[in-house]
Amino acid sequence: MKRLHSDQWLGLVVLVLALVLLFVWIPLDTGTGLIEQVRRRVLIGDALAPSVAACVLILGAVLTWLKPAARTSRLTAANLRWMLALVVMFTLSLGLMRYLGPLVAAVLTDTGYRPLRDTVPWKYIGYAVGGTVMIAGLSRMSQPRPIWRLVLIGAVATMAIALAYDLPFDTLLLPPNGDL
Amino acid sequence: MGIWDHVQLGFQAVFLADPVFSVFGIGVSIVLVMVAGGFVLGIVVGATPGLAGPMAMAISLPILISVFGYAADALLPVLGFLIGIMKGATVGGAVPAILFNTPGTPDAYMTTFDGFPMAQRDEAKRALKIAHMSSAAGDTFSDVVLVLCAPFLAIMVERYLDLPEKAALLLLSLAFIASVIGGSVGKGLISMGLGLLAAMIATGEDFYPRLTMGIPSLAGGIPLAAAILGVLIVGEVFKSLEDLRSDRGARVSLNMGGGKAHSLWPELPTLLPHVLRSSVIGTVIGALPGVGSTLAATLGYSVAKRNHARTGRTPAFGEGAGEGVAATEAANSSVSGSNLIPVLSLGIPGNAAAVFLILAMESIGGFNPGPSVFALPPTGINPEMVIAFGLFTAMFVANAINWTLGGVFMRQVGVMARVPKGILLPIVLLLTLTAIYVQEAKMMAVWITLAFGLLGYVMRRVGMSPLPFVIAFILGGKLEETTRQAFAATGGDPWLLFSSPVAFAFTSLAVLVVVWNVRGRA
Repeated sequence: MKRLHSDQWLGLVVLVLALVLLFVWIPLDTGTGLIEQVRRRVLIGDALAPSVAACVLILGAVLTWLKPAARTSRLTAANLRWMLALVVMFTLSLGLMRYLGPLVAAVLTDTGYRPLRDTVPWKYIGYAVGGTVMIAGLSRMSQPRPIWRLVLIGAVATMAIALAYDLPFDTLLLPPNGDL
Repeated sequence: MGIWDHVQLGFQAVFLADPVFSVFGIGVSIVLVMVAGGFVLGIVVGATPGLAGPMAMAISLPILISVFGYAADALLPVLGFLIGIMKGATVGGAVPAILFNTPGTPDAYMTTFDGFPMAQRDEAKRALKIAHMSSAAGDTFSDVVLVLCAPFLAIMVERYLDLPEKAALLLLSLAFIASVIGGSVGKGLISMGLGLLAAMIATGEDFYPRLTMGIPSLAGGIPLAAAILGVLIVGEVFKSLEDLRSDRGARVSLNMGGGKAHSLWPELPTLLPHVLRSSVIGTVIGALPGVGSTLAATLGYSVAKRNHARTGRTPAFGEGAGEGVAATEAANSSVSGSNLIPVLSLGIPGNAAAVFLILAMESIGGFNPGPSVFALPPTGINPEMVIAFGLFTAMFVANAINWTLGGVFMRQVGVMARVPKGILLPIVLLLTLTAIYVQEAKMMAVWITLAFGLLGYVMRRVGMSPLPFVIAFILGGKLEETTRQAFAATGGDPWLLFSSPVAFAFTSLAVLVVVWNVRGRA
């Protein structure tokens, strides 16, 4: 059997997703149908526009299937590993950003993090550590450099960004302080 | 009040509003300062390979909104800064292309063909001067066309197009963008379909927020900035970082603008025809939604190459011909003005830079790009028209800065090509995520941005342009709203897109554009 071109795989995946969208997601997750009748007036319902989007996806999928590009562009196993590494890196760095400040406050204070979230040094703890890990980690993932140097650059850059937002603007909250 | 009164008010809004300091007793307004600041930042960004004008516009926007707020008088300083970046980046992109054979922006790729051989012949200063003159000339030409065409087109649209025709025009624009961007019509349509779908989440008229799967944090819809920055900026950062893994050890040798001081006057008769021709090509291409400056540069260069070969002059194109640099730079710079024609007259963004201008207008409010911008009210003033003419004035201010100081800045920023991308891009990423957070104040917005970043990454890897996604995401709500209104206004006519000759023509053209491109391309 002839192997499918990568664009044909793409067309197939998008076609399946579009059909699920059209026949499962839209009917189950919209309040009104394609067309509504309200007091003898015929109006467009909330399901029509998403259905048009699904039809555009189907058309695109069919054309991609029928006319695959001459130059092959596809997701490789290396690309998937890279995406997985990105997910791990962001889970770690944003997790530190979100939870480190409250964790340290819970251990060292009686009040918890919320009353301290707009005071120095508490408001910087999560952002500084999470941001440093993000910059150093992503740099290390892209090119091999001494990790201590990347951590130093990451820390300086993170604090520079934090101060650039925090010093001139009283009303802005750095991550994650708006959530807490 | 007439049009001329609006022009004067727009002029005053740029030159007289909110002076921040004075020079010889003359106040310098905040808009002038912001245009100049944006222009300098744009040159620096354009000269840094891996960064681009839209990236700087994306990061600057939330910061600018934090500074200026959401009042109507924030529009001109913010838009002035963004326009400064847009114009500066185009000029700056030529610097590393000439000095290091590395285009700072994709549209400066053709500049390397002749600019770098000139630098190797110790004519870097001459090449930079040619690039600067051509870029400034192309940009100015394009802005003149914008000022002449946008109001005229907007008035025509407002006068002759009713709701069904406007819905059909939006459909035509989307079909055109999906068909011409990227290498495949099918992938363009998929990108557009995904953008439309994202625009539909939690919108609609019913009480229930559609397509949210009951997730409360989606009930407010997808934040506009999170989706656009995610797909356009974060996706590009993910891809570039991965590309760096296989691009180790690439270093540029620093050759800071060698060659003696050189006057361009004797060369002008040979350069000007190329500059003029490329300016026309770039302006026409820029006015078409979705067709970007890279195509303009390629076409401008190709046409100039053919003409140059006929004259038999040496050096030939590709071997260090100043005409090659002039043709490319005039073409890619002349896109920047005319791509605002569809933005201001129709509310349709044609490229990534225009997307961020529309994002700024939508975020701040008080200015709805589209035909109503140039509508004269029976009495009083139309504030939107004042802002539009203020915007035109700001563009010419940026051009004046470009003509007078642009060349000086260009020669100072060559060092930016040495900034390591592997460190710069993660910093840009953190800056982008922080910018999103300070605007939305929710970690969920950061996660949504990253999710759209992954989508943007996948799109690039499978050879799908993310631009149709972004433009469909911006226009999706408008298309639905216009269609709903047209449907109601025509008494529920299901054939509303064919209800008048103009609507019929637009809808048929939309189908033809897709069919034509499917037949013409793989």
